[in-house]
Amino acid sequence: MRENNGFRKFSISSVWLWIGVFALVPNLALFLVSFLDRGEVDYFIPAFTLDNYLRLLDPAFVNIFLKSMYLAGVSTLSCLLIGYPFAYLMAGAGKRIRPWLMLLVVIPFWTNSLIRTYALVIILKNQGLINKLMLSLGLAEGSFSLMYNDIAVFVGLTYTLLPFMILPLYASIEKLDRRLLDAAQDLGASPLRSFWHVTLPLTLPGIVAGCILVFLPALGTFYIPEILGGAKVMLLGSFIKNQFLVARDWPLGASASMIMTGILIFMALVYRLVNRQADGSAQAGQNAGAA
Amino acid sequence: MKTRFPYAYLWLVYAFLYIPILVVIIFSFNNARFSTDWHGFTLKWYELLFKNQPLIDAAYNSLKVAVCSASLATVMGSLAALCIHRYKFAGKKILHGCIYMLTISPDIVMGIALLIFFVSINIELGFTTLLIAHVTLAMPFVTLTILARLAAFNENLIEAARDLGASEVKSFLYVLLPLTAPAVAAGWLLSFTLSLDDVLISFFVTGPSFEILPLKIYSMVRLGVKPDINALSAIMFSLTLIIVILAQLLASPKKKYRQKD
Amino acid sequence: MKKKVVLLALAFSFVFMGLPSTAGWLSANALAAEKNNGKVIVYNWSEYIPQEVLDEFTKETGVEVVYSTYETNDSMYAKIKLLRGKGYDLVCPSTYYLHLMIEEGLFKKFDHSKLSNIVNLDPQLMNPSYDPGNEYSIPYMWGSVGLLINTAYVKPENARSFKDLLRPEYKGKIILTDDMRDCYGMAMHAVGKSANSTDPDDIKAGYEFLKALHPSVVTFDVSAVKQAFISEEVIIGTSWNGDALVAQQEKPELEFVYPEDGALVWVDSFAMPVGAENVENAHKFVNFLLRPEIAKKCQEEYMYSTPNLKTLDLLSAEKRANRTLVPTGDELKNAEYLLNYGGKTLQIYKNYWEKARSGL
Repeated sequence: MRENNGFRKFSISSVWLWIGVFALVPNLALFLVSFLDRGEVDYFIPAFTLDNYLRLLDPAFVNIFLKSMYLAGVSTLSCLLIGYPFAYLMAGAGKRIRPWLMLLVVIPFWTNSLIRTYALVIILKNQGLINKLMLSLGLAEGSFSLMYNDIAVFVGLTYTLLPFMILPLYASIEKLDRRLLDAAQDLGASPLRSFWHVTLPLTLPGIVAGCILVFLPALGTFYIPEILGGAKVMLLGSFIKNQFLVARDWPLGASASMIMTGILIFMALVYRLVNRQADGSAQAGQNAGAA
Repeated sequence: MKTRFPYAYLWLVYAFLYIPILVVIIFSFNNARFSTDWHGFTLKWYELLFKNQPLIDAAYNSLKVAVCSASLATVMGSLAALCIHRYKFAGKKILHGCIYMLTISPDIVMGIALLIFFVSINIELGFTTLLIAHVTLAMPFVTLTILARLAAFNENLIEAARDLGASEVKSFLYVLLPLTAPAVAAGWLLSFTLSLDDVLISFFVTGPSFEILPLKIYSMVRLGVKPDINALSAIMFSLTLIIVILAQLLASPKKKYRQKD
Repeated sequence: MKKKVVLLALAFSFVFMGLPSTAGWLSANALAAEKNNGKVIVYNWSEYIPQEVLDEFTKETGVEVVYSTYETNDSMYAKIKLLRGKGYDLVCPSTYYLHLMIEEGLFKKFDHSKLSNIVNLDPQLMNPSYDPGNEYSIPYMWGSVGLLINTAYVKPENARSFKDLLRPEYKGKIILTDDMRDCYGMAMHAVGKSANSTDPDDIKAGYEFLKALHPSVVTFDVSAVKQAFISEEVIIGTSWNGDALVAQQEKPELEFVYPEDGALVWVDSFAMPVGAENVENAHKFVNFLLRPEIAKKCQEEYMYSTPNLKTLDLLSAEKRANRTLVPTGDELKNAEYLLNYGGKTLQIYKNYWEKARSGL
């Protein structure tokens, strides 16, 4: 009994300690800084103000914010659409081969992302690989470029973040009890219907986790959209980074990242809601399976 | 038909993931400083690479930090997932929230905050500080992946194990971990990937005696990233692939007969 | 089966960890005999000093060079400031950060009596307004932001100044740097103002120019400028002269133009953070780099201009005649250093910049 209590205490306290020191304290400090004034020499001075949040109402920031949300959102969606069937098929492969399939998904990402982005440039650019391929297949005429538009950004972000969607999805789909699907089909449900009513609810936690792990980093990246998309609109990641480094305006950077935290809290609430529903439907599903 | 189509899809996505890497490898043999077009075959970038000891050292340092931090992050992340999933304690919701907060903290904020912290406790910047930073960066990815798998997971199994006399530690090691194994593995792989690629946090928390690869690569941007980096990437990629294939061959000699299970 | 996998993984990780460290140990041993006079910690751009030069210095003096890297002036400044100048013996900031860091007292003075080779430096680049008498800074390399054009599409007479970027024929073919100081400085020169102006009306004029230019721009970037020009994604835009020279090797039709409305000149200079511990070795190192033949090696590796007059004499006639590399007074007419302006002015610039960058 003592050992049990010890393990429980050990895990809770070590996790709390780590999170407390490295997440809670910095974020609380950031929260405080977002209400302070910026100094001439010092990064911030202890004078309370709401100015930093008011400054975020500026159309320039609203524009940056919306554009970033749009790019990150569409990229997340495309990761999901590509990643879900992929993870589903992976989970259906032979038991022995599954870990290797998983490993093969991440190996390309052990090459530095700047180098990979340059490789995408070689593929997408004017007279790049796609251009040449299309020419030789007679599908296109002359040279064209696929760079410097939103689609190039989507390709870049989807490419970079795909494993962060596939892996959580796989982990969540892999435990799916496929007998439930058989049961649903035995009961006469069409594949689509059983997907909608059984598979999707049961894998929803994985979907949400994947989306969070793709969406948030997508909001924060900067060089991928800049190199591929041309960054005609500055993005949130660059904006925050610039406040801290170039403009030396920590309070504004802090308030902008507080806004991001706000989005996160909202998403976490959605996640909890979804989780609860999934719990409910999992129970229902299992009951149905048993029946 | 029904069995072939899905595999075609798998191959297609793998192709999407690997084509850029193939391009990197091919262009590591390109006889041009800024490799956007093909200018003939050369081995000079490999020659240059082998003479560039600091670059090789940096790559080695990066691997070291990535392996260590991914492992530690996996341990911490699993513990956090366990606590949130299984225990009731004061401030549990806050803890859960903090883990989300970690994913959103912009890298720059985490880097600066950690640097201020390390400077104030007077710890030397280098391997240790990088390790701590990367564990912090990667931990929520592990926790969220495991929690997603644990969601709607049957609580009774652990209770059954406990009833059968397994201690808390044992039920964690023998029941919970195996059941979440794919998520734990996924978490490790994601952590490793994050650590290998992080620039902004690493910049602030590392010291002069411990250079890592991504920092070296980014700071080449102003003068132009040389193709010896492509050569290095190609070598690292090929090594990983060889190791994986070897391991696969050695670990599952009966694979052929078992493909159908 | 599981055990086998774990064993394998362990074995591989040992091999992985073991090999490079042995290699490192061997090469470290080779140099160890010579490293007995302490060290000097240099904080600089990656490979901004050739490895050969570093090794030569160690061989000659017995001082080990610890070379650490940063990717922008901005992040270097933040780190040095947060570390209160401790941990590094030499850094290499560009003009306006040098100015700012001197003002904030982040640097120590050099002892010129220990820098005998300082006489080799170009007097035109010495004694700058931000550091009279070069007490804090010793120039290492310099260069300019100007225009890079693809002469296959752009007639040089239609690209004489930054103003010309507004010509309708360049629409959708322009690249601009996404560095605020460089890009805004370009705009200020285009409207005939100083890039260091603190007058809000001037700053607004620069903003108007950027706003008008925004629809013509296809990308704001610093990390793939050469690639964009070489693949003809863009035909005109801002560039460093060194970048231009490198890109020309692959695409000879590219040409660098020192704009008539004035290039932006930067000088990367060595400076000693206040917390530097190996002051003596830092002096030795800087003095070593000021030798004409050493500066020549640095120049040849990176196509930027050297401030070392004696080195110029050692360069090939062809190089000396290259106006992109060695600009004369004509090319640098109206050119200007970027200087630091106070925090208040920086805010004004920044607000306009964020708007302009997004086309608002």
